[in-house]
Amino acid sequence: MNTKHLTPTELAVTAERQRALRTLLRYPLLSASGSRSAEAGLVRRHAVWLRDWLARNPGWSLQVDSEVARLRKTPADLLDGTRPARDPLNNTDFTRRRYVIFCLALAALERSDRQTTLGKMANEVVGFAAADPALARTGIVFDLASHDQRRDLVHATRLLLELCVLVRVHGDEQQYLNSQGDVLYNVNRPALAAVLNIKRGPSTVVDTEFDARLSALVAEALPDTDDGRNRRLRSQLTRMLLDDPVVYYDALDPESLAYLNSQRAQLVRQIAEASGLIPEVRREGIAMVDDAGDVTDIGLPEEGTEGHLTLLLAEFLANHARREPGTPVAESTLYRHTARLAAEHRSHWRKSMTEPNAEVPATSETIDRLIALKLVRRVPSGVIPLPAVARYAVAAPDTDGAAGSRRPRRRRRREAR
Amino acid sequence: MAQYHGFIRLFIVSTRFYRLRASRARAHERRSTRIGACRLGRCPNVSTSASRLKTFAYVNVESAALYRDVMRTFMEAKERFSLHLRPHEVQAALSVSHRVIDDPPSIETALQQLCEWGNLERHPDTADVATVEEFYRPRFLYQLTPEGEAAEKAIAFYSDEILRSGELQTAALTDIVALLQELEGLGAETSPDEGRTHRTLSSLRSRFEELTSRAQAFIGSLQRSIDLHGAKVVEFLTYKETLINYLERFIGELRLATAEIATTLERIEAGGVERLLGMAAQRDLADAVAATDDDRTAAAARWRARWSGLRSWFIGRVDAPSQAEVLRSRARSAIPSLLSAIISINDRRVTRSDRVTDLRVLARWFAEADSDHDAHRLWRAAFALAPARHLRIDDATLDERESAPPVLPQTSWLDSPPLRIAPRLRRLGWHVHRGRPPNVIDRSSEKAMLRADAEAEAAQLATAQQRLATGGLTRLSELGVLNPVEFDVFLDLLGETLAMRVDRDDTVCTISSDGSLRITLRPTRDGSTAVIRSTIGRLSGPDHFITIEDVFAVPSPAVGDRTVGTLSSSYGREPVV
Repeated sequence: MNTKHLTPTELAVTAERQRALRTLLRYPLLSASGSRSAEAGLVRRHAVWLRDWLARNPGWSLQVDSEVARLRKTPADLLDGTRPARDPLNNTDFTRRRYVIFCLALAALERSDRQTTLGKMANEVVGFAAADPALARTGIVFDLASHDQRRDLVHATRLLLELCVLVRVHGDEQQYLNSQGDVLYNVNRPALAAVLNIKRGPSTVVDTEFDARLSALVAEALPDTDDGRNRRLRSQLTRMLLDDPVVYYDALDPESLAYLNSQRAQLVRQIAEASGLIPEVRREGIAMVDDAGDVTDIGLPEEGTEGHLTLLLAEFLANHARREPGTPVAESTLYRHTARLAAEHRSHWRKSMTEPNAEVPATSETIDRLIALKLVRRVPSGVIPLPAVARYAVAAPDTDGAAGSRRPRRRRRREAR
Repeated sequence: MAQYHGFIRLFIVSTRFYRLRASRARAHERRSTRIGACRLGRCPNVSTSASRLKTFAYVNVESAALYRDVMRTFMEAKERFSLHLRPHEVQAALSVSHRVIDDPPSIETALQQLCEWGNLERHPDTADVATVEEFYRPRFLYQLTPEGEAAEKAIAFYSDEILRSGELQTAALTDIVALLQELEGLGAETSPDEGRTHRTLSSLRSRFEELTSRAQAFIGSLQRSIDLHGAKVVEFLTYKETLINYLERFIGELRLATAEIATTLERIEAGGVERLLGMAAQRDLADAVAATDDDRTAAAARWRARWSGLRSWFIGRVDAPSQAEVLRSRARSAIPSLLSAIISINDRRVTRSDRVTDLRVLARWFAEADSDHDAHRLWRAAFALAPARHLRIDDATLDERESAPPVLPQTSWLDSPPLRIAPRLRRLGWHVHRGRPPNVIDRSSEKAMLRADAEAEAAQLATAQQRLATGGLTRLSELGVLNPVEFDVFLDLLGETLAMRVDRDDTVCTISSDGSLRITLRPTRDGSTAVIRSTIGRLSGPDHFITIEDVFAVPSPAVGDRTVGTLSSSYGREPVV
């Protein structure tokens, strides 16, 4: 679509729709009474178009009403374990324990009235845990007496606060941690009802194997005609392109690959027009890249020491991929390289990087980030760089004040290629 | 011995007879005074203090059921107009209708207890008996006292009210409108019929009371019904439909009726309502035994209070909305609570299973996951709250790609132009100086230099102006060579003048922009060109006669060739620097 032929009004409307879709991709649950009420209002204004587009292309359902906007972003790739729930304050990943407490806290909230306190929630969670022998069999025990146990609950509650399911009225969680007080919350029932995104209730699933359980949760029934199959393929591919950083051709099954090869241009163009992401189509796969940086949680490039280290390691791995494609890089090699880089960039980087053995955790973290961005893959003997890592090259670092003013970011509308 | 028996018996009978007669007389007297006193509003036997009313004691004692049955039997008998009952008649009635009594004496004790409480009265029974034992057993006739009757009626009314469901009566509204119109008609007459007035006002009052009490009951029960029905979905949905229709109909009718009633009330009041109320009060007391003035004022006050109550129900004041408004708003506010009940039902219908059970099973699945990685997978599948993730690109690369030839889709990432990023980092450091702040820098020498420069410039300008502003007429071609400062000044003046000129052959006289020189320019019209030379270049154009004068100078008497001489004599002099 040639954007030059649109009137200014249409351009503005298209820009707004893109922004609304991007907001939904970034924050699938928006509450009208929270810190993101402006974005929720934007989504409501374009709810009809959004619902239509999302139903036709990725097959996601959008639920918008006056209280909450929820994009039910069923994932296409069930093997991806790199998107954990995070505690909003410390950015630490959730452990299994914390997930269990989160689910039980949600169950406790379902039963509560319009207001509840943290102490009451804790008691109910303990009650649920005690009433279920299967939980005790797995070794997870709650008595919420020690500081650690209470901290798990507080982290779960912080996530609920961020999702606007709870609104704090009085009290402080820190005081609860120190057993000195309690916190009063208002329960936002529409948001509570929108948190869970399952097509089938887990209590109706009888499988015991983990993968089977996962597939049962997200299974959708589409008619077994050609049209239904095509629609499923199309929606799976669109979901992957919208949600994942890179889609590699060799990771797709033959049916999807055939469909993609025939429909690629149109599919990619649809997504680019609706979301403003820019397609990079290469021999190995497709990446929809983000020029404004607001659709992603981990970005590359980023600022700071970790960002620089990530870039340098990416470059190192890219060079390795060019020289010896397909062979893994041992992690020890990466540690050594990091240590060398730390010594080289001592003046630019954080002081703690120059300490002995600081390179090991830093490198592991960086490799995790690269895996999350689908730029490398972990194998038993190390990591294998994937093709997309070659798109990064590092110039000399631009220290503060040396390169002049930063180029202003501006949104562009690009023709899809 | 038998004679003694006989005397004793006669004595007993006679005393009994006298006692009976006395008690009967007393009872009659008591009754009449009581009735009269009650009519007049003074009832000596009813305690007006807040102490316990013994008349109601039978409701809450242990064998309250028996007592209530007995009282009900008496009330039913009264409806058949049989005012006195014997114990065995009571027992017969009870066994027929309600319960079987095991031992007859319990009836007697119950009746006696009721007499003590004041619900029943008893009189000795003088009917003939068949056996000796019966003759010696104390036999009484029982009868309801007014207090007992009133208490029983109150309790019956209470049970009826509780059991009766509330209603919003639109029929009552139409009745009230009709009655008010009739009342208006009566008020318009000069001497309205007292009976009709009283009838109209009484029926108005009763209809109105019924409307309000039933509406109140309805609204009160509304919330309870909503909570109750919310449990079962199908019935709730049908209930919701009927309720909404019902409320809509009533609210619509109420709004129309209120408007009409309000206007009618105001018209009646304009016509004078006191007269009608007075007539109704008078009629109230028409059957009283002895009506005093107090009674009349009391009756009038009662009617006035009822009228003002009716009025305030339909016509509100500025600070207090009318009761009709309040009723309407309460009926309307029932709808949101209905909707929230529906929403909660709807939420529960999203998944087939109960959400709490679902969440607990999910918690179990999380616990049974093998690793944190699997737990994250389950999180993403079950909750789908993770943000999207994409690689980034910056504007510089986008610009490059736009200007360069497009990259073909078959190109590998390894071969295509990469994203060149110069990561922004801060040099480690010390943006804050430590130690003493630096001294203020002394700039006096620079300032002196600048001042000298400025003075020099001003002096140059003054000299140039002096040289040019000779006051004499000269041709441009004869000006001679000018140094740069003079040339600048000259160009300024020329520019000013030429800008003011409208026609080529005009003489223009103007003042320079700083106001210190006056210039007059006249074209020579002889076709010659003037070339003005300066050290930086040559300016040529048609020749003119120019006169430059200093505005503030004293005009000198001699003008003419002296100017040319002055200028040419100034040629060759070094300009002041």
